[in-house]
Amino acid sequence: MRGGRGRYGSGLPVLRRGSMARVLTAPAVRPGLNSTLLAWGALTFLGAVSLPWARPGRELFTFSPEATGAALARTSPLMGAILLTALLVAAAGLVPWATASRGRAAIVLGALGTVLVAVRLFGTGQPFSWGVAAAALGFLAVLGTGLALAGVLRTDAFIAGSILWVAVFVAIFILYPLWTVLEASVVVRGRFTFDVVRETLRSPAFFLLNNPATPRNETAVALAAGGIVTAVGLLLQAVQRRPARGWLWALPAGVGGFVLTALYLGFGALRNSVLLAIVVGVIATALGFLFALLGERSRLRTRRLLGPLSILPIITPPFVLGLAMIYMFGRRGFVTYQLLGISTNAFFGPLGVAVAQILAYAPIAYLVLQGVVQSMDAALEEAAETLGASRWHVLRTVIWPLARPGVANAFLLVAIESLADFGNPIIVGGGKPFLATEVFFAIIGRFNPSEAAVYGVVLLAMTLSIFLVQRYWLGRRSYVTVTGKPSGAKARPLPPALDYAVSAFFLGWMVLIVALYGSVFVGSVTKLWGFDYTFTLEHLRSLSPTGWKVFWTSTKLSAYAAIPSTLLGFLIGYLVTRMEFPGRSALEFSSMLSFAVPGTVMGIGYILAFNQGALLLTGTSAILIMAFVFRNMPVAIRAGVAAIHQIDRSLEEASTMLRANSLTTLRRIVMPLVRSALLSGLVFAFVRAITAVSQVIFLISPQHSLATTQILTYIEYGSQGRGAALASLLTVFMIVVIAALYAVNRRLGAETRREMAL
Amino acid sequence: MRTPAVPVRLGGVTKRFGAVLAVDDVTLEIPAGLLVTLLGPSGCGKTTTLRMVAGLEHPTNGRVFIGDEDVTPLPASNRSVTMVFQSYALFPHLTVFENVAYGLRIAKVPERALREQVGAVLELVGLPQVGERYPAQLSGGQQQRVALARALVMKPKVLLFDEPLSNLDAKLRKRVRAEIRDLQQRLGITTIYVTHDQAEALALSDVIVVMNLGRVEQVGSPFDLYRKPATRFVADFIGEANLLPGRYAEGMVTVGPYTFAFRQDGVHAGPVTVVARPETVQVATAGQGLPGTVRSAFFMGTTIDYLIETPIGEVSASAPPRVTGMLPVGSDVRLQFAEAGLYLLTEDGR
Ligand SMILES: Nc1ncnc2c1ncn2[C@@H]1O[C@H](COP(=O)(O)OP(=O)(O)OP(=O)(O)O)[C@@H](O)[C@H]1O
Ligand SMILES: [Mg+2]
Repeated sequence: MRGGRGRYGSGLPVLRRGSMARVLTAPAVRPGLNSTLLAWGALTFLGAVSLPWARPGRELFTFSPEATGAALARTSPLMGAILLTALLVAAAGLVPWATASRGRAAIVLGALGTVLVAVRLFGTGQPFSWGVAAAALGFLAVLGTGLALAGVLRTDAFIAGSILWVAVFVAIFILYPLWTVLEASVVVRGRFTFDVVRETLRSPAFFLLNNPATPRNETAVALAAGGIVTAVGLLLQAVQRRPARGWLWALPAGVGGFVLTALYLGFGALRNSVLLAIVVGVIATALGFLFALLGERSRLRTRRLLGPLSILPIITPPFVLGLAMIYMFGRRGFVTYQLLGISTNAFFGPLGVAVAQILAYAPIAYLVLQGVVQSMDAALEEAAETLGASRWHVLRTVIWPLARPGVANAFLLVAIESLADFGNPIIVGGGKPFLATEVFFAIIGRFNPSEAAVYGVVLLAMTLSIFLVQRYWLGRRSYVTVTGKPSGAKARPLPPALDYAVSAFFLGWMVLIVALYGSVFVGSVTKLWGFDYTFTLEHLRSLSPTGWKVFWTSTKLSAYAAIPSTLLGFLIGYLVTRMEFPGRSALEFSSMLSFAVPGTVMGIGYILAFNQGALLLTGTSAILIMAFVFRNMPVAIRAGVAAIHQIDRSLEEASTMLRANSLTTLRRIVMPLVRSALLSGLVFAFVRAITAVSQVIFLISPQHSLATTQILTYIEYGSQGRGAALASLLTVFMIVVIAALYAVNRRLGAETRREMAL
Repeated sequence: MRTPAVPVRLGGVTKRFGAVLAVDDVTLEIPAGLLVTLLGPSGCGKTTTLRMVAGLEHPTNGRVFIGDEDVTPLPASNRSVTMVFQSYALFPHLTVFENVAYGLRIAKVPERALREQVGAVLELVGLPQVGERYPAQLSGGQQQRVALARALVMKPKVLLFDEPLSNLDAKLRKRVRAEIRDLQQRLGITTIYVTHDQAEALALSDVIVVMNLGRVEQVGSPFDLYRKPATRFVADFIGEANLLPGRYAEGMVTVGPYTFAFRQDGVHAGPVTVVARPETVQVATAGQGLPGTVRSAFFMGTTIDYLIETPIGEVSASAPPRVTGMLPVGSDVRLQFAEAGLYLLTEDGR
């Protein structure tokens, strides 16, 4: 309980029997005006009239008096119409109309205003300024209010307005950039053509099967392999006497065999990326499953280390592992050169990337599979065992079928991450082409946005199809959900031998991770790794001024981005879980889309979409913030949905019935109940933004450079020590931030528990 | 002093959830100031009907009136209706006082008046001392009353309950139900109460609305429903009943081989279903009556419950214990029907 003395004085008034009368006097006031419309009309008008509608350069925070609505209205009838519409809105709020007619008026005025603003904005093509934002958001709010008042959307003005705002933001910052990528791949210098697509897809850098330099014919080999697999499949089916269904399995298996062989024999970005994704996906998922078993079923203390492990990939700037790999296994690597005495480049290329990715993504698989193993009902296993099944049999017939969708889910998630990964391939890829890096090199090295777009589309097509499979096919098939009810049956511990084996393996894993991270920390205070291991503070000192500046910029912009991305994410989570409105699933889908869009693709999308014209944003810090916001929003949406599902829906209904509007309900009921989730969301959005690289690498400008991209620059241009120093700094900072979050949340948690359960 | 109570009317209200027809063309008048129960088996659309009155659900068709006002287009927050939820829905992060004050704060009631009203209503529900506690620190019964207080303090025109007692144990349920009844009668608020427990409905209501498969089967006082069920469903659902096939002609009823005199107005000659409550079936070892054999007998304390096999099916009977004890299984008996407990359903009674 809060405050010893109580907030309401010493006690409640003592009342006698007459109290009933006072309880029952009902006042009902019906004002003849609508303050929401009045306020929005006035705000829209004031914003439009006083703020500038265009800006002379890139800089967002400029004020050009000649571009305010008031100034423009003198010459532009369109602007006059916009201002008049805003005034009419205010008037519609004032006149004593019936609710429905007022709503219809607001719909008309809101829609009209929105259209006029759009016409004005795209008609002039001048870079927008704050007046546009104010007017557009204002008219959308009016439209939303109208839809609510007229009963078109069965909800109140706040929710209706939120839906419209969110929809517009999602359209501008997620759908539109993706569209421009698609467009750029087939529209070159204003002309529709498939030339670039054809050229790119045919180029050996993309994919090459028949290498003229080798004597064998790779296509033939691959076809043969496919044929053999098909034949073997059919044979097996025949032996098992199920020839009728034989083709059903044998054919896809054959195709799979052909594709895998072709990938294995081939060359190019497609081959490297896909093969990498498959290998990393399989290994990381297997490891994740092992760790999940360890975490949920082990009797040993080792499992406590799993928590920190699962946080690592989130707090790690993407280059840290890559850099560590160079330090440990590179040409002058500590292990390879210092300990084993070999100087090899073997780790540069797909092998190195695969190891780095497995280290980074096994924790992701672990997190997914942890839920699966956790909610796997121990009672089922017990039931199977009482039926006389051996442990192996139980694993094969009960555990595995139940876990299969979760395992597939983990595999697909890791595959998406691997395909989209930019940091590791560029650092330890050894110059080999990968899809995500080719996007980068096409635009930065070859100045060919169309080619970059083609690579982007290919990458997008792959991640998106995986996303769709994962969402719609697996979504329906998973038997065990994260929210599944535990049955009360105690989880069965692992057999001791397995327990020790897995624990030992995991310990080895942790040692490797610690060594890798440690090497970066040590590297930041080592003169020249691989040659001269004397201690120095030179790298840390040399971070001044550039290193510190970018560190500060990263922190600042990430903090700015974290707030809207969390709030927006939770709002969308709330809208899609609790509200019914037309286009709900479309909104949910498109806002989750950036989950599946590789950062580099989003990056070129932003460049192509916001580089000129009315929506000019490149070169500003705003575009970085927007990239962060919409990149990290899906995480917040998921967190929000999960948190809101924990709340009994009748709490919100009770609030509504006590006359609260949805804004009040959100503020006073929902927010307090999800505050610790909200705080976590905030911190994770911050951390993810600060460690992001692929989506912002095209968007940075000399004035707005970020820590991650600066680390890349340092490493690429030979000052690895400085890169290590900045990376260490960032890692330590992230660890501190996360630790603080846990401490606060534990206190919050304790307080909440005290409040709610005694 | 009382708020002028208002009636609630549903006009042809239908609600579909996709393919599910939850409420099917319900027309209903809920008289001002009365406690009306919506009673029916699980999934018959009670909650949905209640939520449409609340404004938490919107009818696919039809209109809802509170008093003279058509509230169909109004959202829940503008209806002057409050609700006590099955789960109580107390805000766990607010104290009891703040829970009750929640709606008043939204209505911007000044602090002094607010304290006074909250205090008064907490006293009204018999919980004047718990204002500073959190809901989790209250017993189930106390939480229930806080939920009631929170609904009452808003001076609603209509008060809604959705199975408010289902989370309480049997004993407490009886007590709280009496308290709700008492309070409702004193305040005279129009009240709609949803339950699937027929005993609760009988004990509590001025009027019971029996629902089945989204439709209204019968509306009437508890006594009428028990004595004169309009359909087989109602007869079966409310209390226990033997539904026996029979014939009616000119003041005479025939069941199986047994014919006896019984007159019911408005019933035409022809096949009927005889509704006989077990407590009105008299079991004798000889004389006139429907012949049968005792299949089972259970001593229940105040009664002995027999299951008797007759030529027209099994009949259950609750007889007062006789001095001579129970009739043994296998005894041949004759059954007679007390006129006061009999009711005839004609064939259109579904
Ligand atoms: N939101 C919804 N979406 C889909 N179907 C629903 C929804 N709410 C109710 N239904 C369906 O409508 C029918 C009536 O439901 P309702 O909750 O009104 O029943 P009820 O009489 O209150 O039952 P119970 O006694 O179990 O609470 C049921 O078949 C139910 O499955
Ligand atoms: Mg119900």
